[in-house]
Amino acid sequence: MSLEPQPLFLRIYRNHHLRYIVFGLIFASLPYLSNWGFIRVSLLTTVASIIIYAIAALGLNLLLGYSGLVSLGTAGFMGLGAYIGGYLINEWSASVWIAILVALLIPTLVGILVGLVSLRIAGIYLAIATLCVSEILLKTFAELESFTGGMRGLTIRFPVILGVQMNRELMFMFVVIALIIMMMLTHNLVSGQFGRAMHAMRGSESAARAMGINLFKYRLIVFAISTAYAGLAGMLYVLYIRSSYPTTWDIMLSLNLVAIIIIGGLRSIYGTVIGAFVVFGMSDLVLRRLPIIGDMAGIPYVITGVLIVVMILFYPNGIRYIPQDIKKLIRKITKRGVQNV
Amino acid sequence: MSEFSTFLQLTLRSLETGSVYALMALSIIIIFRTSLTLHFAQGTMAMFCTFCIAFLVNSYNLPLWLALVCGIIIAAIMATLVDFLVIRRTNAASVDGRKIITLGLIMVFIGLAPMIFGSNVQNLPRFIPRGDLSIAGASISYNAILNIASGLALMGVLFFILQYTKFGLAIRATASNEVTARLMGVQTKLVTLVAWIVAGILGVVAGVMIAPATTVNVGLMAPIQLAALLACVLGGFQTFYGPVIGAYIIGMLPNYLSYYGSSVWSIQIMYLLILLFLLIRPNGIIGKKFIKKV
Repeated sequence: MSLEPQPLFLRIYRNHHLRYIVFGLIFASLPYLSNWGFIRVSLLTTVASIIIYAIAALGLNLLLGYSGLVSLGTAGFMGLGAYIGGYLINEWSASVWIAILVALLIPTLVGILVGLVSLRIAGIYLAIATLCVSEILLKTFAELESFTGGMRGLTIRFPVILGVQMNRELMFMFVVIALIIMMMLTHNLVSGQFGRAMHAMRGSESAARAMGINLFKYRLIVFAISTAYAGLAGMLYVLYIRSSYPTTWDIMLSLNLVAIIIIGGLRSIYGTVIGAFVVFGMSDLVLRRLPIIGDMAGIPYVITGVLIVVMILFYPNGIRYIPQDIKKLIRKITKRGVQNV
Repeated sequence: MSEFSTFLQLTLRSLETGSVYALMALSIIIIFRTSLTLHFAQGTMAMFCTFCIAFLVNSYNLPLWLALVCGIIIAAIMATLVDFLVIRRTNAASVDGRKIITLGLIMVFIGLAPMIFGSNVQNLPRFIPRGDLSIAGASISYNAILNIASGLALMGVLFFILQYTKFGLAIRATASNEVTARLMGVQTKLVTLVAWIVAGILGVVAGVMIAPATTVNVGLMAPIQLAALLACVLGGFQTFYGPVIGAYIIGMLPNYLSYYGSSVWSIQIMYLLILLFLLIRPNGIIGKKFIKKV
């Protein structure tokens, strides 16, 4: 390590937070591209929903990546956030910030309750408990018509944020900013004391316990965090898509979110976003355009499911690590070449 | 209708759902105990096989019993394929990985079903189309009696095999400790394979029992899968018979609750009761403690 000041571009390159901002600027340029006619407006909606799902997956990645616990209720918690936020904006004409705060808090509280009961016993109970909760929530969304609009769904209009009337492009920016903030937050979270504790738990639960880490406490915290992310993602969904139907929040969405993490890479922040593009972009951007395959109803599910199985069996690190592995492979080949000479 | 006959009616109706839940719970616990995998895709795979049977009956006019035999064969082949292609390749360490693989399998089969069988829902006839038996003012269809009886018989045979045969001993040995069992000469791979096949067959039988009550669609087994998982939680994961007891309780409780309590909130009340029970007895009715070895 040299103590000489590094060139500016290297400093930017090495600074994680600046990298996230640059990453966000790429997304932020999309509305302009669509205004100038380079890309279609429908693509913007697809990308926005992918970003929203990526935010929910970021939270789930903390849970699955660091504690190995699976939540099958992410979609349910997202729906809860979406309906609470939409209801507050519609019926109480609450400001967006208050709606976001409540849409974050209530799913988190429900998550803490679920975690308190299920995490006490063993890891697998959380998966079953969250599956149960998501079924109850789904039924409630469909039946509690005064609150959710039932099967007719709930619709809102673009709100006013910071005195500015939102429209499609501005809302897209809002979603991108939320993604960047959540990526930075996740980065700070896993780099700090909390992250070290989680890393220790992942290495060996017994060793972590011996070092004085309260497994139950940290599991509960990480599960609560993941539900908070889900609540926020649900809120952003209803803000951008402006409607919410019970069928959106079924178990398949939760499974897709798990798939994002497995495909993108466990414990990887960029991997989560890439995974979201693979899972949700695949069906909207690629498969629907293809002949024959595009008409088959279940094909995205089949491909995603097969990808989950194949990734776990043969490439458990996720596609985030493909560049590193290629580098390693090249180094190996060149080294062998040198030795042969 | 007298108070007693109402009670009897409720009990008889609950027994039928209880049997379906019990078969599913047993299939899940068999896989969980022998290959340490919580098989979330059990319901989906059973749904797929039931779809096969409905397809054979409706499109090729096969008699129901022949279609059921075909369905059982398909279930066995699917279970074998899953065991050979997927489960055996995951090493013993990645318990989390296997759990997630079964999540992937859910997506595969939910996607495949409409591709193969079309997106229309199908109907499956009952084995005994009509006829009711009345006992002390309560009536029950012959088909329900057949379901209850065949469920009990199937479970009876399985528990007899588990408890009194050499192969049952091998299964129990594998369930208690796979490595030790292998060292003692038990063919644990064969045991695991048989466990998957048996579970697949139990699933398809449960599917055929419940299908006439609704329609055959992709969501057919989802509530039953959930009930079976809860039955495992309620009965405890440490024995084979605990989940079966739990399944009958879960089959009966909502019916009593909706009659004697609230009909809208019976399921939610039942979930709450189960949660409260778990707070008192975290390891279930028959539960022993999870012991983690370092």
